Amino acid sequence: MNPYILTILLFAMGLGTTITFASSHWLLAWMGLEINTLAILPLMCQSHHPRAVEATIKYFLTQATAAAMLLFASITNAWITGQWNLEFMSYSLPTTLVTVALALKIGLAPLHAWMPEVLQGLDLTTGLILSTWQKLAPFCLLLQINPSNTSLLLILGLASTLVGGWGGLNQNQLRKILAYSSIAHLGWMILVLQFFPSLTLLTLLMYFVMTFSLFISFKVNNSTTINSLSMSWSKTPIISSMVPFILLSLGGLPPLSGFMPKWLILQELTKQSLAPLATLAALSALLSLYFYLRISYAMTLTMSPNTLLNALPWRLPSNQHTLPLAITTSLTICLLPLTPAITALLTL
Amino acid sequence: MLKILIPSMFMLLTTWTSPFKQLWSTILMYSFLVATLSLTWLAMPTDTGWFYINNYMAYDPLSSPLLVLTCWLLPLMIIASQNHLAEEPENRQRTYISLLISLQIFLILAFSATEMIMFYVMFEATLIPTLIIITRWGNQMERLNAGTYFLFYTLAGSLPLLVALLIYHSSMGSLSYLSLTSLPLTCSNLYANKLWWMACLLAFLVKMPLYGVHLWLPKAHVEAPIAGSMVLAAVLLKLGGYGMMRIMIILDPLTKELSYPFIILALWGVIMTGSICLRQTDLKSLIAYSSVSHMGLVAAGILIQTPWGFTGALILMIAHGLTSSALFCLANTNYERTHSRTIILARGLQMVLPLMATWWFLASLANLALPPLPNLMGEIMIITSLFNWSFYTLILTGLGTLITASYSLYMFLLTQRGPIPHHLILLEPSHTREHLLLALHLLPLLLLIAKPELVWGWTA
Repeated sequence: MNPYILTILLFAMGLGTTITFASSHWLLAWMGLEINTLAILPLMCQSHHPRAVEATIKYFLTQATAAAMLLFASITNAWITGQWNLEFMSYSLPTTLVTVALALKIGLAPLHAWMPEVLQGLDLTTGLILSTWQKLAPFCLLLQINPSNTSLLLILGLASTLVGGWGGLNQNQLRKILAYSSIAHLGWMILVLQFFPSLTLLTLLMYFVMTFSLFISFKVNNSTTINSLSMSWSKTPIISSMVPFILLSLGGLPPLSGFMPKWLILQELTKQSLAPLATLAALSALLSLYFYLRISYAMTLTMSPNTLLNALPWRLPSNQHTLPLAITTSLTICLLPLTPAITALLTL
Repeated sequence: MLKILIPSMFMLLTTWTSPFKQLWSTILMYSFLVATLSLTWLAMPTDTGWFYINNYMAYDPLSSPLLVLTCWLLPLMIIASQNHLAEEPENRQRTYISLLISLQIFLILAFSATEMIMFYVMFEATLIPTLIIITRWGNQMERLNAGTYFLFYTLAGSLPLLVALLIYHSSMGSLSYLSLTSLPLTCSNLYANKLWWMACLLAFLVKMPLYGVHLWLPKAHVEAPIAGSMVLAAVLLKLGGYGMMRIMIILDPLTKELSYPFIILALWGVIMTGSICLRQTDLKSLIAYSSVSHMGLVAAGILIQTPWGFTGALILMIAHGLTSSALFCLANTNYERTHSRTIILARGLQMVLPLMATWWFLASLANLALPPLPNLMGEIMIITSLFNWSFYTLILTGLGTLITASYSLYMFLLTQRGPIPHHLILLEPSHTREHLLLALHLLPLLLLIAKPELVWGWTA
């Protein structure tokens, strides 16, 4: 893509999210979300492949619906309360509508159906932007409006963790697996939103770090299916040996840092006397762990110990910049002992 | 404590920076040094009470035998793995040794934890190196299935444990071992309290394993390479027993009624798995089921909650750890020569490998709990405490002892005695390394006859 156009689009995406961050008026927040959506659309269909165009259209339609619902909710709030401020939403109808609209925007179950198909149509870098950056603005809004409809949030959260687990079990396309993993993690974030919003932010940031490592690892190997991962040990042996740890961290296994958000969320839920819900959510994480484990089996743990007799892909010298991958992988694996410091930082 | 933990952590560095020609000798020497230093943990000036190193790590007469067993096992695992890793590329050998060392570090941290959540995190942390050892270095296709069963059985049990610990923490405020004795959860007959009791114990029962949830163990033990089998049988199962002993304190008085079905299941498992052993064709599978059988007895001993029960359980855990690991090493000597685990393919070995037959004999005698070995001491104490609880358990435990003796003798006679088949006449003679390995397993067991006070915990 023309570098000027790329610059404009990336700046516009940043601008959209920043406008939403900085806004306290509903119209400005909605405007930031729309700028964000419109800016990413050309990035998504830049390859002009029919599949990419299809993904772009699906994304546009769902995000436009969500934005329209958001606008209607804020107008309803303005009609009832007489003001447009984000933080003062005290009536249940607009709050519920906003929560559902934002759930559609980020892809929580049962409003998740667009997510796997859209991610599948994109290349890995744009998919990464979709999974990480695009979630920031809606979460900023969710954290500010303090939704008080407990049962809605718990249903959204639990359904997301279960759907994210079960949906990914039958996939062998990596981008769909990453989509279902995103749905599951978003479910965990929503579960604790009402009780301890800082944990939502912590889970979101940890998810960003872990997903970034995984997307970039897949991009380095230029692979989009589980089968094509099996040759990665010969191309990048060190990345291949680190990816099982990244995957197990995404699955929430101690002592990796992915355990930190799950542990803190379970602690908060048990404090709120929601122990059966906590157990259900914890067990649903096992479903996601199964397909993470399957990817790690294909990629690393079934390396052939002897020299192979079949044709291997060319191992050309790569000039990929792997420093961000190195940083985020280290954070994904080693951050658990810093849990007290991180929770202190987030509850400032 | 730190003089053992910090050298263990730095052994990871040594693994990656040693010159390759001296890698195995260096690591072996350092791990033996660490193991020797760890023997100082056995010296207990007083019979009860904790020895504090810092706020987060401590040891007492219950955890010190297990800590010493963990540290003792690392050099043994390294000796055992030397042969089958010799053809692998250099970096993979270093990775394998790093996995073994990191496993030891997690185990030391688990057994010396002073707080239940630290124990939980380290308990789960041991899963990852073990999973990688089983699925990457196992030899058959079934190892992937074995790794999945291993990980998911253990996690399905331990996630409810995490929630149960957090419930206890939110109502009692602390999960430190010191305060556990004075803070039992108030008993009321709510169904939720019974679920909480179950959640606390399920993880450890799956790990031990209890008979109904034991399916992961034959798979994992059989598919793992020798170091994986050794560490699984010797130490990782004991994590379950140790955790159960620690958490029993807060589970009173619900345990009086609720433990009934689990004691019966454990004893029934002793008989069932013993009977399965008599019909096994796979040598490692036989030893794996024998592990389930012995650990069923340990589980019953712990659930009885008497001093003799706990003491018997701890002694049996240590003795079984050494015995089972020795049996797996012996099975591995067969496997390295014939590349098959089928028992009938490697019969009559006394003719070809007479010195190894001595080790087979001693290990089989230890497995069937011959007096005066500590195996018998543990079993007798558990059987006695069960008899005290109810006379009828003697039928089950007596039958279990009989079946244990039968399959141990069966295994010995089938592998060592009888005519040797023609395809085995040209077997490679026993290496000194293998003799050393077995001597190092069985010598502590023999020495424990003389001073069992080291391993009988704080109750007797």
